[in-house]
Amino acid sequence: MVAPALLIYLVFVIYPLIRGAFVSLYQWDGLTPTMTWMGLRNYVDALQDPVFRLALRNTFQYAIGVTIAKNILGLGLALLLNKKLKLRAFFRTAAFLPVMFSFVVVGVLWSWIFNPLFGLADHLLALAGISSPPGWLSDPSIALWSVMWVDVWKWTGFHMVLFLAALQAVPQDLYDAAAVDGAGSWARLWHVTIPSIRPVIALSVLLSLTGAFVANYDVVYVMTGGGPLNSTQVALTYIVQTTFTSDQVGYANAMSMILLVLVAIVGAVQLRLMLGRRNLAHV
Amino acid sequence: MSEPVVARRPLPADSNRKRSGPAGSVPLKPVSSQRARTRTFTLSAYIVMALVLIVTIYPMLWMVFGALKSLGEFYTNIWGWPHVVYWANLAQAWSQAALGRKFLNSIIVTGGTLLLVIPLCSMAGYSFAKVWYPGRRFLYYFILLGIMIPFGVTAIPTLTVTLQFHLFDTLQGLILVYVAQNISFGTFLMYAFFCSIPDELIEAAQVDGCARFRAFRKIVIPLARPGLATLLIFVGTGIWNEYFMASVLIHQNNLETLPLGLVVFTTQHATDYPELFAALSIVTTPMVVVYLVAQRQFISGLTAGALKG
Repeated sequence: MVAPALLIYLVFVIYPLIRGAFVSLYQWDGLTPTMTWMGLRNYVDALQDPVFRLALRNTFQYAIGVTIAKNILGLGLALLLNKKLKLRAFFRTAAFLPVMFSFVVVGVLWSWIFNPLFGLADHLLALAGISSPPGWLSDPSIALWSVMWVDVWKWTGFHMVLFLAALQAVPQDLYDAAAVDGAGSWARLWHVTIPSIRPVIALSVLLSLTGAFVANYDVVYVMTGGGPLNSTQVALTYIVQTTFTSDQVGYANAMSMILLVLVAIVGAVQLRLMLGRRNLAHV
Repeated sequence: MSEPVVARRPLPADSNRKRSGPAGSVPLKPVSSQRARTRTFTLSAYIVMALVLIVTIYPMLWMVFGALKSLGEFYTNIWGWPHVVYWANLAQAWSQAALGRKFLNSIIVTGGTLLLVIPLCSMAGYSFAKVWYPGRRFLYYFILLGIMIPFGVTAIPTLTVTLQFHLFDTLQGLILVYVAQNISFGTFLMYAFFCSIPDELIEAAQVDGCARFRAFRKIVIPLARPGLATLLIFVGTGIWNEYFMASVLIHQNNLETLPLGLVVFTTQHATDYPELFAALSIVTTPMVVVYLVAQRQFISGLTAGALKG
């Protein structure tokens, strides 16, 4: 019964992975049959390539930044909503809506919001009396932050829903006991709420971290294409660019392998956690 | 927050005082300050909700407004709804971007992937959960390994492999790659659901003369329906929105899926913004409608899917 799944998995996941590792040791344009043996030269070159190093740094800044923002905002909103409020169901539905859209849709929409001619961002600042708005996507020192914000915008509702479900599973007895002991609201948050939902916090952080490391291609490509001046270049956009515009397939594969190792470390931690808690409470 | 609820629940300030003072003599002042605090909290919760709603929903309303404005009004009336509704943008965007064809391609690719992923992952998950054979543990972990592989990293070698099998630039190739990339997650998810079905049920069915496959179909699949729904929604949403692999594997215009076609259209027609807004509105509307109709399933499917896989 496993055979069909296994076959398709071997051909289109495992084989490309092995082939990628193999090609990374050669110089190859991806089309002609001639491949020149390079040994580990591609790897050495990649680690010394200033653009790749910048792209890796951006990837880390992106992944860590959006992970912190999504989880803090998501948890904050969930704590705020964890009581009977009118319109809460409506709010939950609305806040989750961006999760449904592809990054293509979200990226295109936000690059229009950041548009200097008709975008909402600049007009909002103008209403506040700021007449020289920043170049959201054109200023190299800001562009990456603008793109990161879009990622946060899309996913915060998702993390909020995760946390809200976890919060509602915390037994009321714990709060009552803490209240009897005279715990104030901060004490209850730190000593009851946070410890009770720690597993969900851990999963949520890991999910956003692995996601942000490798799922950032779409939004970066659509919004800035890695520019201006490579300031928003992340590892994946640079790898694809190297493959298709300069035909250095071997080199691109070497960079892919470096990224794979970095992400696999985070992924391994995530996998361990998942295996440890196979039957999480149904959300 | 309705006030009776506040009054009924023992508040920390109350219980403190109850222990030190004589029973029942709860002073009035701390209670009212507690109430005031609850009220401020509720009020701030509503303010934050309103702000988040504006930041989330207004950009989408703005997109629809933009789609219905004439080019002139588009640049002069930035914030509001159109004064003169200009429906022509929608028809133009539909034909200019060939959206009909792209909807069809997306439906074929998403449907085709699901038609393969669901049975393949159910069978694999079931065999790991309920059937004993040598090497089962090893195979399970081997397939699970795929969850750790970021597919962006294998995109370029995947392209080479599709070239070898003459599947490059075809919808079949894209479907097979999508299926393969969802095997690990789907198998893990279905495994978790099948594990929760008691062995006795399946054994009882087999004693009654059901063959193993029949037992699987008649007893197990109906019981695993929530798992199947999660798989369907999680994988389906992911494929419908997928851009990266499609952009690597599909290069013919008439095979583009919606996300791919949208990117091509927005980069090629970079000037007629109302028409671009119209295209984006047309593409997002079905998704919003489906979500609003089945929001409970979507929210629980996507979050449960993420937690389990």
